[in-house]
Amino acid sequence: MSRRSIELLFLVIAGAVSTMAYVSVYAGRFREINRVSIIYGLVFVSIFFLLHLLVRFVLPQADPFLLPITALLAAIGLTEIFRIRPALALTQGQWLLVGAGLFVLTVFIVRDHMKLDHYRYIMGAIGLGLLVATIVLGTTVNGAKLWIHAFGFSIQPSEFAKLAIVIFLAGYLNDKKALLSVPTHHVLGIPLPAAKYFGPLLIMWVLSLAMLIFMKDFGMALLFMSIFVALMYMATTRIVYVVLGGGLFAAAAAIAVAVVPHVQDRFTTWLDPWPYASTSGYQLLQSLFTIADGGVLGAGFGRGFLLYANRQPVVPDLQTDFIFAAIANETGLLGAAGVILLYVLFMWRGFRIAVWAPDGFSKLLAAGLAFAFGLQTFIIIGGVTRLIPLTGITLPFVSYGGSSITANLMLVALLLMVSHRTNVVREGSDLERRRLAERG
Amino acid sequence: MNKAISRIFIVGVILFVALILNLTWIMAGRAQWFADRPENKRGIAKEMKIKRGDILGYDGSTIAGSLRRSGYYYREYPQGTVAPQLVGYDSVRYGRSGIEDELNDELTGQSTDLGVQSWIDRILGRKPKGASVQLTLVPAVQKEAQKALSGLKGAIVVLDPKTGALIASASAPTYDPANLEDDWARLSNDPGAPLLNRPTQGLYPPGSAFKVVTATSGLDNGKVTPDTEFIDTGTYVVFGGKVTNYGGAVFGPNDFTTALTYSINTTFGKVGNLLGRKRLISSMQRFGFYQTPPLPLPRGTVVPSGRYSKNGLLSPDAFMDPLAVAWAAVGQEQILSTPLQMALVAAGVANGGRVMKPYYTQQVVAASGAVVQKAQPAQWLVAMKPATASELNIMMQRVVNAGTGTAAALEGIQVAGKTGTAERGDGSNLAWFIAFAPAEDPQVAIAVIIEDTQSTGGEAAAPLAAAVIKTALAQPSLP
Repeated sequence: MSRRSIELLFLVIAGAVSTMAYVSVYAGRFREINRVSIIYGLVFVSIFFLLHLLVRFVLPQADPFLLPITALLAAIGLTEIFRIRPALALTQGQWLLVGAGLFVLTVFIVRDHMKLDHYRYIMGAIGLGLLVATIVLGTTVNGAKLWIHAFGFSIQPSEFAKLAIVIFLAGYLNDKKALLSVPTHHVLGIPLPAAKYFGPLLIMWVLSLAMLIFMKDFGMALLFMSIFVALMYMATTRIVYVVLGGGLFAAAAAIAVAVVPHVQDRFTTWLDPWPYASTSGYQLLQSLFTIADGGVLGAGFGRGFLLYANRQPVVPDLQTDFIFAAIANETGLLGAAGVILLYVLFMWRGFRIAVWAPDGFSKLLAAGLAFAFGLQTFIIIGGVTRLIPLTGITLPFVSYGGSSITANLMLVALLLMVSHRTNVVREGSDLERRRLAERG
Repeated sequence: MNKAISRIFIVGVILFVALILNLTWIMAGRAQWFADRPENKRGIAKEMKIKRGDILGYDGSTIAGSLRRSGYYYREYPQGTVAPQLVGYDSVRYGRSGIEDELNDELTGQSTDLGVQSWIDRILGRKPKGASVQLTLVPAVQKEAQKALSGLKGAIVVLDPKTGALIASASAPTYDPANLEDDWARLSNDPGAPLLNRPTQGLYPPGSAFKVVTATSGLDNGKVTPDTEFIDTGTYVVFGGKVTNYGGAVFGPNDFTTALTYSINTTFGKVGNLLGRKRLISSMQRFGFYQTPPLPLPRGTVVPSGRYSKNGLLSPDAFMDPLAVAWAAVGQEQILSTPLQMALVAAGVANGGRVMKPYYTQQVVAASGAVVQKAQPAQWLVAMKPATASELNIMMQRVVNAGTGTAAALEGIQVAGKTGTAERGDGSNLAWFIAFAPAEDPQVAIAVIIEDTQSTGGEAAAPLAAAVIKTALAQPSLP
């Protein structure tokens, strides 16, 4: 079976699963019939079918699993959003449409991701610019400054900055990896490269510290610092960067806990939320109660107790940061673990693409994107389950939010491009190789 | 490079395994533990899908009803606030209190003794229907008591001395359970503690109202008769200290009845030492002091009365020197009492010395209409001999007819009572009045306490008691 037929098969399966979930929600509240319900199904199925067709013609050798996983996650998210607030599902459906549009644009404009390597500094500037813009122009929501309000929309620039920074780092580190990995001297028996190559590490550290202090968000800083350290390690294979980066980040986090009240708040409620059960720990505890209430099997889609009688969700921000709590409540431990496994599967495909990729830039790009995607997932699920301090970050494809879904669909487009090129270079026909060369 | 990439992937997998393990711990291992946490109100919220039984007054009117709005039931209070501290609230966010909490299983139809239909419903997976609870509270009397307390701090408890039925239980300042969620921050921070059910949770020095207990002990033990003569010089010197009268008054020669009528401290101090600690404490215990009154309410919301130290209730055997006994006999010396306990003292005298078990549930009616539980009045304690009760009854009538409690006198109804004024260190008084009426065939027993007043029990509390008694005796029926 060709890659595209596998993709289509799994998309059909994903469509069937999401239809069942949707029907369950619908049956759970069958007195409410409105146009949202019909638009939901049509928009969703046609979007992914169109994306499949696009991939079939433009990137025929791309990985066949990423798109079905994306579709399934998006369907779970959309169903749960519909379940929590039907009106928002319509908006989210529109954002999915926008995201699909950006996916198409990314594929058509970039065509071959190798071109992006030429624009690495522009990408780096864009990424940095987005983060600085957030710090300067951002609005504080729930204590953290992660949003820019413009033109009637709320944009979370960090979602896009994530992509730009990974592209920049993949290019930059691939170029400099030789220099960065050659030890020139030893300190206490540890081989270290020339001091000047630690410059980027320090710049990144300062940036993450700035994010902690000005965005007041532990999760974002952790995400960007980790992306940098992981890419540095993958490029140079020198563990010293991980040790140093980890140490520096720990120091930055300690400073932030001491200096930034919001970060400190999050940290104390993480350590012990019980004394703050009706204040700063309310959200986290309600999340834990909601998750624990799911039990092993869950109440079923549309049947959990997620809304109070006045239609307010049991956990504030249930449809965005806490959507995982809603899923865990309704689908139980099995469903929640299943969703986590979907993310592991996605991450695995990403890393697999990286390992198979023929060149350093492709490797670092795919691995960086897969890592960023996986870590973001870990940070938010870990946050709502109190494994790590809670931060306001979205669950990719599932959380309500336009920036998240569009940026992550672009991420999928990039991964598909890398995998297409890899497969063509490794085993493609002459015709395909020629076409690829023409794009470059 | 591939090796490093694989390593990073493995780290990622480890992180996700940690997520799943933690999730398993929360959702399978500790699910019940989370469900049982008091901060977790999800159980309450789910029960809001059940039609909660009504809470009715003794007259059958609805005190707390159930209103359906988009699939959930809410409490509504068609009569406004009626004994909100006793009836309690039912809030998703803040949980339950009072009777709403105590009788939750009945009100949500989950109680096992609600009959066959309830079992069938449960087996068939039908939603249970709540049983309604009819209280012994008489809304008209309750409202009169609340009106009497409006703008004041204090409590009024009205009991049926013959059955122990709680006719009214008012606590001020008060709150509106209909607006609980909006007002919560203000209510829970209010130093006046409007959520506190003062009748069963408020501990106050009983002051001279306690002399009824001392008199019971003296008469019952044969140490005094109503006619025993004493001489008051304004001061009773004992054990290196002294007992003085309220306001420095001097009464000269007086018999024991007169000592109660005018609340002469020195005489009661002497009676205290005629009795000694053991007999006095024993009489207290026979009224119910030193144990938690058996009024079924959530744990900790009914507190025992007795002698307290900073660390809580003292043992009945705790040592007291003669000076302490003398002051205890006039209701000071660390003796603290709830309004409910003082109402039980009045009720005990009124009922010929027999203290009935206090209760508030008249009957529980299942959704099917079947009466599944009915009040059965029972004797709790015997406080004194019937003869002692008769003598005390007459002495307490004198208090109202000619003594400190004249403000409680009613046209055509003989009231028997006792005032109390406990001075607080800050210059304010606690004003008490305990009473029963009609004296010849008591239908109601009452305790009134007013905090933060400059007046005496006879001035501040007695008139309120009179108003409530008048309303109660005008009712067509009492429990």
